[in-house]
Amino acid sequence: MAEVLRLPAEKLYEEELNELKKHNKGNVPVGWQLSPRSVLTFIAGGKAGNLDIKPKYIGNQRLIEMAIASLMTDRALLLIGEPGTAKSLLSELLSAAIHGDSGKIIQGTAGTTEDQVRYSWNYAMLLANGPTREALVKSPVYRAMETGTIARFEEISRCSSEVQDALISILSEKSISIPELDSDVSALRGFSVIGTANTRDRGVNEMSAALKRRFNILVLPTPSDIETEMNIVTKRVAELSAQHQLQAELPSDDIVEKVVTIFRELRAGMTLDRKEKLKSPSGVISTAEAISLLTNSMALSGSFGSGVMTEQDVAVGLQGTIVKDGDKDQLVWKEYLENVMKKKGSEWRKLYQACSELNGR
Amino acid sequence: MKPHLFGVRHLSPAASYHLESWLTEIQPTIVLIEGPSDMTGLISDITKLQTKPPIAMMAYTTELPVDSIVYPLAEYSPEYRAMVWAAHHQVQAKLIDLPSNISICMDRRRSSVIEEEPEGEPFNVYAEIARLSGEYDYETYWERSFEQLTTLSDFKAAMEAFAYQLRDMEEQNDSPAESSYHHIREAYMRAQIERVIEEGHRPEKVVVITGAYHVPALMADTFPSVDISNLPKRETSTTLMPYSNFKLSSQSGYGAGNHAPAYFHMMWNLMQKGQYDRLPASYLSKIVRVLRQNGTYRSTAEVMEGTRLAIALASFRGSQPTLKDLRDAATVCLGHGDFSVIVDATTRVEIGAGIGELPDGVSQTPIQGDFIRRLKALKLTKYRTNSITELGLDLRENRRVKSQEAAFLDLNRSFFFHQLQVLDIQFAVKSSYQQEDASWAEHWNLRYHPEVEIQLVESTLLGETIELAAAYQLRERLNACQTVGEAARIVYLSYLCGMLEMMEAASETVAMLSVDSADFVENAHAISELTRIIHFGDVRKLETKSLIPLVERLFLRGTLLLLDAASCNDERAKVVMTAIREMNETALELYEHVDEALWYKMLTELYLRDDRNPLLSGYCCGILLEKNIIDSKSLEEEVARRLSPGIPADLGAGWFEGLCMSNKYALLSRAYLWENMDTYLTTLSEEEFRRSVVFLRRSFSSFSSGDRSKVAEILGSLWGLDELTVSEYLNDELSETEENILDELNDFDFGEF
Repeated sequence: MAEVLRLPAEKLYEEELNELKKHNKGNVPVGWQLSPRSVLTFIAGGKAGNLDIKPKYIGNQRLIEMAIASLMTDRALLLIGEPGTAKSLLSELLSAAIHGDSGKIIQGTAGTTEDQVRYSWNYAMLLANGPTREALVKSPVYRAMETGTIARFEEISRCSSEVQDALISILSEKSISIPELDSDVSALRGFSVIGTANTRDRGVNEMSAALKRRFNILVLPTPSDIETEMNIVTKRVAELSAQHQLQAELPSDDIVEKVVTIFRELRAGMTLDRKEKLKSPSGVISTAEAISLLTNSMALSGSFGSGVMTEQDVAVGLQGTIVKDGDKDQLVWKEYLENVMKKKGSEWRKLYQACSELNGR
Repeated sequence: MKPHLFGVRHLSPAASYHLESWLTEIQPTIVLIEGPSDMTGLISDITKLQTKPPIAMMAYTTELPVDSIVYPLAEYSPEYRAMVWAAHHQVQAKLIDLPSNISICMDRRRSSVIEEEPEGEPFNVYAEIARLSGEYDYETYWERSFEQLTTLSDFKAAMEAFAYQLRDMEEQNDSPAESSYHHIREAYMRAQIERVIEEGHRPEKVVVITGAYHVPALMADTFPSVDISNLPKRETSTTLMPYSNFKLSSQSGYGAGNHAPAYFHMMWNLMQKGQYDRLPASYLSKIVRVLRQNGTYRSTAEVMEGTRLAIALASFRGSQPTLKDLRDAATVCLGHGDFSVIVDATTRVEIGAGIGELPDGVSQTPIQGDFIRRLKALKLTKYRTNSITELGLDLRENRRVKSQEAAFLDLNRSFFFHQLQVLDIQFAVKSSYQQEDASWAEHWNLRYHPEVEIQLVESTLLGETIELAAAYQLRERLNACQTVGEAARIVYLSYLCGMLEMMEAASETVAMLSVDSADFVENAHAISELTRIIHFGDVRKLETKSLIPLVERLFLRGTLLLLDAASCNDERAKVVMTAIREMNETALELYEHVDEALWYKMLTELYLRDDRNPLLSGYCCGILLEKNIIDSKSLEEEVARRLSPGIPADLGAGWFEGLCMSNKYALLSRAYLWENMDTYLTTLSEEEFRRSVVFLRRSFSSFSSGDRSKVAEILGSLWGLDELTVSEYLNDELSETEENILDELNDFDFGEF
């Protein structure tokens, strides 16, 4: 049987969810399958019966509490943050834990239309029979309302403002009217929307104040210290390499630390000891990119190298991630190499040489 | 039978709330409270109707060095409520902790011991409690576990359990100094309690209110007693002072501080009305009101959502929302995820600008009383607020008012402020110094805060009134003066404070010190301070003529010291140069009094001498040029001599540099100087020219570009070019050959200099 590339959270962690259901502590809100405490345990880690629940979102536990509490008050939740702050992951985990279904997703793009938010028609049937229930094509939001579950709206800020605004009345009235059928659908208890939005990327639209008012907004921070970020990177790289069956060894802590250090320094525009100011490259240097850089390097070393990640493999990745905007970034990278990395001592020497060779200026 | 004990946290609404009903239940005949026993006398003032907390009990040493300890009380401090309850029920209230004359020494000793301890993360019992309870911080733990208890029995039981466990944890981790300090205090408190019972109060009618930590020790059946008569003591006095929410919010005095005094006050008010459950709505509405006042509009619906979110957040731990829950909910719903939007509002709602009040005349030190009297007399009472207010003063006579007092109101204010400054009391801070010399106008920033009160009380040792204290302080400083400059500075300060007698005393010191003083620079500083007073003396309506003979004397002395002072190295020369400038300014201003002729004679001599520092000779030349004392011909000679090849290049250049440091405009307006320079430069050989360029460059570095082109224009007109052509040429790009020449110069090896 062909294998699915990536399982949804409720399938991947089915065992944990079942165990949590068995050992539910506290009140279960109407329409939920787990109590808020158990949802928290599912995401932040802990114990259910004898089963260890793995922590899935690393970082501030208070944020998870706030997200769950928002959904308890049947408010819609909006997760905002830079790329790589695990917005989508958190949204998927929340809906998987609360309803066991993280699949009702609208993937927002510049081309998303209002129909995809509300409902559209099967035109063949519409022409043949006129507007009937059978001809109705329900959007994920529509289906979530019917079943009292959570709809996920990814990358809201990529949609045009008109499409975003279609959500306003849905969120306040909690119903969609279908004038063609002279009827409407009202949300069952448990219905909610989790949106995610990106603040720093290019090509995003400003969200209207009216829409923002209907969401509880949580800002997901970039990892606050280097240990947290290294934890996240190590954990995700291990997961991804297992998923993609990369034939290479996992990067050593030493390499992860170097990559994360470089990323943090460039992101902050300052060295970690706060002694030296740096230029930041034009693009976003997110944790997500550190993860994809390391998996790429793994793939590289697995397929074309010895299977052990070398400085050369990392250097290729760094060059590609940091230098996005041609000449300008190349200079920034060059300056960083000469002024900071070169002075970091002998352990960095090999990486420095590999990088400056590639940067070639 | 033992007396009743009630363990509290010092600033806790719930403790106060339950304490009151507990007291009513027991109906004690005496109320004993943890607090320095010698402050018992203050209780009658604390419970007066006009007294508005936050206030603080304060003890201060009556001898130098000044030291003080402060015990703040808020509206919702259990100690304060107990005192008020006792006053209402005509029951005696007493403080039973170590008297302040001992504890003030222990405080000192303890803190010095702590400093000696090895570095490293000290064990923090509160952080540990927070960790064990799974809370984010100790304050949240406290609020959820204690402030939210609704019945007296729950609260008492919880406090008791807390007291014993806290004691256990602390005792394992306390330093020996810390635990012996607690031991002494507890033994003393036990002795006090026993005494009260011996006096005839029935134990079941005695209540003791102390911090939870001390409960186990006071309840214990046996406890080793301590003789306190041998402990170090310092004489202390006690007083009350108004306190502020802001001070409360920073950790201080009475055990734990309180991170959100205004929030707890809100909680206290609601508890009394039996509406504790309205706290979330009340908090969030206050936040939204401040936001709206500042122009950030948020709807009522968002406040409601925030309240629901806070309740949902608290439901994770099965409690009412705590401040942390409320603040997080406010961030999400009112700040739209961004805490910085609401940070200002949270500060105002949680901390607040509240400030305590004491009835007039209540246990004040004389100097506090004097402060209030002077504020009233100078119509400054309204500035006694915690926010900074700016006050501009016009020191001149106000001719539109009748009374003498009103006419010089601002002047008297200025005296008052300066006196406070002498005492380091930060009620008034001078804000703009632009006009310091010229001025009949002054700008002050006024801000009253508890720190001011502490500073006032600490000044009490110096004198009974502010003026006396300031005079004492000035006299102390005067006695410590070593140089005429410092003494003259005191003259000036006394003058600013309007203290004539002090001014005379200080000028006598100046005169005395000047006899032995052989320091030209100090002497010049003194002259400059005194000249400043003489010049602007009448602004402050003070007799300053008496200073003139003194200045004459000092000036003569300075004149005679000049030549000696001028033989020094280049570094010192910069200082001497400033002194010369100061002297020269005095010569210009007080020309009718000082011996001007001799001064210029000395300057001329210095100008002609080449065994003195060339910088200073050059500088003198500038001054004399300005005064037109030297003419073109003698200057020509001097330039030629100074810059002649026989004289080492660095000396010549130093001379020129000194010249350039004097008044540039005087130099620019005298074309013959530049003519001389020009002639001199043309006589130099190639090698000599290269050397001199170095110094010329350095000299001109202090010229602005405008001044430099002016020089170029002057030289241009000497060479027969008109001004326009010159400036055109200057602004042109450099040609290649010119650039080459400049490059070559840059490569020149300066090593030999």
